[in-house]
Formats: sequence, C-alpha cells, structure tokens
Amino acid sequence: MKNIISILIVLSVLMIPYTSQAQQINWRTFKDNKTHMVNVNMGWEYGMIAGIGYGQKLKTTLPVVLNMEYSSPFGKQLFDDFKIKLGGQAEVLKINNFSASAKAYGIFRRYENDLVRLLNFGSEFSTNVGYYKTKWYVAGEFGFDKAIVTHIKNTEVMKNNYPGIQDGWYIPTGGNFFYGIISGYSFKSNDVYIKVGKSSTQDFTTAPTMPFYLQVGFNRRF
Amino acid sequence: MKSKLKFICIAIIAVIAAFTFTGCKKELTLKEPGNLVPKTVTEDPALPAISVNGTKLHSETFGNPDSPMVVVLHGGPGTDYRSMLNCKGLADDGYFVVFYDQRGCGLSQRHDKNTYSLQLMLDDLTAVISRYRKSPVQQIFLLGQSWGAMLATAYVNAYPAAIRGVVLAEPGGFTWQETKDYISRTRKLSPFTEDTNDQFYFDQVLTGNKNDHTVLDYKMAIAAAFDSREGNALGNAGAYPFWRFGAVTQAALFEIANRDGFNWTTHLGQFTTKILFCYSELNKAYGPEHAGLVSSAYPNVQLERINGSGHEIPYFGWNNFHPLVKNYLDSFK
Repeated sequence: MKNIISILIVLSVLMIPYTSQAQQINWRTFKDNKTHMVNVNMGWEYGMIAGIGYGQKLKTTLPVVLNMEYSSPFGKQLFDDFKIKLGGQAEVLKINNFSASAKAYGIFRRYENDLVRLLNFGSEFSTNVGYYKTKWYVAGEFGFDKAIVTHIKNTEVMKNNYPGIQDGWYIPTGGNFFYGIISGYSFKSNDVYIKVGKSSTQDFTTAPTMPFYLQVGFNRRF
Repeated sequence: MKSKLKFICIAIIAVIAAFTFTGCKKELTLKEPGNLVPKTVTEDPALPAISVNGTKLHSETFGNPDSPMVVVLHGGPGTDYRSMLNCKGLADDGYFVVFYDQRGCGLSQRHDKNTYSLQLMLDDLTAVISRYRKSPVQQIFLLGQSWGAMLATAYVNAYPAAIRGVVLAEPGGFTWQETKDYISRTRKLSPFTEDTNDQFYFDQVLTGNKNDHTVLDYKMAIAAAFDSREGNALGNAGAYPFWRFGAVTQAALFEIANRDGFNWTTHLGQFTTKILFCYSELNKAYGPEHAGLVSSAYPNVQLERINGSGHEIPYFGWNNFHPLVKNYLDSFK
C-alpha cells in the first residue's frame, strides 16, 4: 500500500505543472491564444462547498485540457474536509455544434468529525455530451466517482465504544454514479455556468443522504 | 510537451497496474464482521442471546426472575441498550430487569430491510416477555427511552391489559405528525456549518447497498456524532455508549412510518393506570410544551422534568431519573 500511495503522490506532484482549469469548458471559446484558465465555483456536493481550479489547454490535435481543482465544504474547520482532483478532459467527438468530451480524474479526499478521520484515494470518469456555441452551451453529464481505497482512523470515542475496531486501509469503500445537466454562457474571456444533477450508489439500490448536486461557477481564460 | 504527456500516461498506467497487481493483501474490507462494528449474536456465540419470534436477540437480565419484570426498550429506532444499562440498578430495588437489543439493532441478528413491520416489533416484545415471564400474575412494566417509549406506547395501545405500568422518557410522539415535528426541531441544519458537512461529506467515500449492513451501520455511527457534538439540540452532555447502530432497522421503520403513518393513541383511553412520563431539562427540541402535548394521549399521567439531563435520560440523567422510576414502580407493590 505504501508503494501505491507513493506513486499517487509522485503522480500528483508531477501533474500539477500541466493541470488546467476546473470542471466545465466551452470548447468553442477555449482558443489557442488563451490557453490558461482559472475557475471559482460554489454549490452542493455532499455538503455546501466552495472550490477553485486551474487549467491549461494543451497544444494538441485532439483538444485536451488538464485540470486541478480544490474544494472544501463550509464550516468552522476549513481544512478537516476537502477534495483535490487532478486529471484532464478531452473533446473526443465534434459534429458541427455537437460535442462529446471525456473526463478522467484522480481524487484525494479527506473527512473528519469527532469519531473518525477518512483519507481516500479515488477516481472519477465522466462524459459530457451537448450543443456548444461560442456564446452558450448546454450538455448532459454522466459519470462515476469511485472511492478506491480509504484509510480509516477512528478516534478514542469509537475505540472506547468498540476496542476491537480496526484502523487501516480499506479497499474498496464505495462508488457513486452521477448524472445531470450543465449550461453555460460565455462573454469576452469569461464563462459562467450552472450544473445540477442527481447521484446514486454504484448498485442503484441506495442514494447518498442528499442525493443531488448543484454547482455555479465562473471561468476566466488568459 | 509531448514527452511530458507521454510520461504522464505511463505514470497513470503504472498506478493502475500497481492497484491491479500488488493485490493489497494487507488491506481490510468494510464488510468483514468485526472490523468496524462488533460481531452480532449470529457471528459470536459467546454473546448472551435468546431465540424468539424467528430471530436471535442479544439479551441480558438482572435481578430475581420471579420479581415484577421491567422490560427496557432502547431508542432509535436502530440504537441499542448499552446506554440504558444504568437501569440494571432497578434490580437492587427488587425488580427483574430485562434488556434486549431490538431486531436488527445492537448485537442482535440482522435482517433484510423488506422483512420489517411495526407489528413484527410488537410481536418481538410479546415474545421477549413470554420468554422471561415466570407466571401469569407476574407484573410487567415497560421502560422506554425515545423510540423505545414510542414502542412501549404502541404496545400499550395494542394490548392495554397486558401491561401493569409504563415509564416513558421523551418519546418523539405517538402519531407520525407529532414525531415528524419533533424530529424536524432536532435536525435543524444550516448548509454553511461544520455539522452539515459532518453529516453528508463522507457519503462520497463510504457507500453500501440496501443490505450492506456493516457499511450502513458504520456510517450511521459516524453520523451519530451529530447528537453528541458541543451545543447539540438534544442537550446531551457528550457522547454516549453504543455497540452498533442498526441502520437497516432504522431505514425500514422510517420508510414504513413515512408510507403508512401511525397513530398509537386510539386505545390509550382504556389504559387508566398512571404512567410516568419524563422529559429532560436540556433538550431544546422537546420542552414542557411538547411533553404536555404528547403525554396528553394518556388519561392518567405523572409528568416530570429531569433536571441536568439531555435526551439520553437513562444515561445522562440517571441520578434524577432513578428515584422517580423507583417510586413509581414501588407504588404498584
């Protein structure tokens, strides 16, 4: 396990110089003369969150953007819960104004409350299919967020309740599908967007306690 | 740029290969019994248990089996009797005290979600009483906390002649509407607070299907921090002990209540015996108004406030609760 984590950490560090914007891109406005993008966003995703992102468009035949994003839920302790996503997205299909993109991210998450601390490495794969104009776009989104391996560390309260409780690396620990719609408006070097959708556990028999997500965001290209 | 991209691709493949081929033999699994939540009576034969009504319940008794019986009913639905073990002190007062973890809860046997009904929970209680009762004239008392007090009332409403007396500690309500109103006051959340992300944020890391009991039980335990955090609406002074939360039991019974509703006051008028109804001083969601409303369904009520306690009265308020319970039970001698 230590080897895997080392590789993930090294990979994360290596990817930072190449990573690019956050979540949503209007492929029609992301031209080669402005290949960098910063993003701020806010919404509900397993909690009320705020996020920032940075991205860079690669000079490749296939439009590819590498991304890095950090988000954290609101609350008194800002750094006890957070999520970092590193990865990229590519426009894999373009027919007139219709476009399909594929996204792949590595994820590191942290969660802590009075009873437990969770450190998770996961992945997210998703696709957007939609209609993109230079001023606006609308697309559907479908994806899968897999919690691959999680380190669980229980606090003394939990250990006092159950001395046999096992701290350690648990694999796998879960996964959620998500699906929704996205729409954005572009002006000058900026985009604003909103996306809304639902989430469900990987076998579709249960749902997260609050099974929806909502995000509004702003991109600035430079 | 191309060489850097190639390196990234190779690194990604390396990570996937590492996950695939290293085997991760030392890693733990969420579903393995005993890893995150204790083993139940079906997994650990050394635990004290009784087999009744088609299930195996974790159960203990204290006191002389021939004495008047006090059956202790824990809250939730879905928690267990560990936080109510102070009640075994009633054995020293001359009572036969019976504890059991309700079906699917604590260390009792788990069952699939679609097997539950409210009648089944009442039948379990009937079976527990029958299992321990020594004679038809042995007096039976029910002592319930929160959901346990609701279950006790549902039982009295269904079988008014079967029970000699009742001690109730902060039942949410005896109708679904009363209960929903109370729950909504205990669960007020602002989206921008730490409490909110403590409740929801781990949903992206730990998931289980509807019958993944171990995962769901552990998640419920994590979420329980809400009821004991500093400044909690329930007035609890801190964490209280538990063995295992029965998440499937809780989900099943809430689903039934949401679908069918309930009203357990329809025959309470026949139960003219005085009951002891207690509410806590520190539970901000309860208070004398709700206590008065809920208790009014019984025709003869001794209503008492337990000073210095929050919702978990038998745990945090035992010193003030115990004399009232003892005096109440002794009044039937």
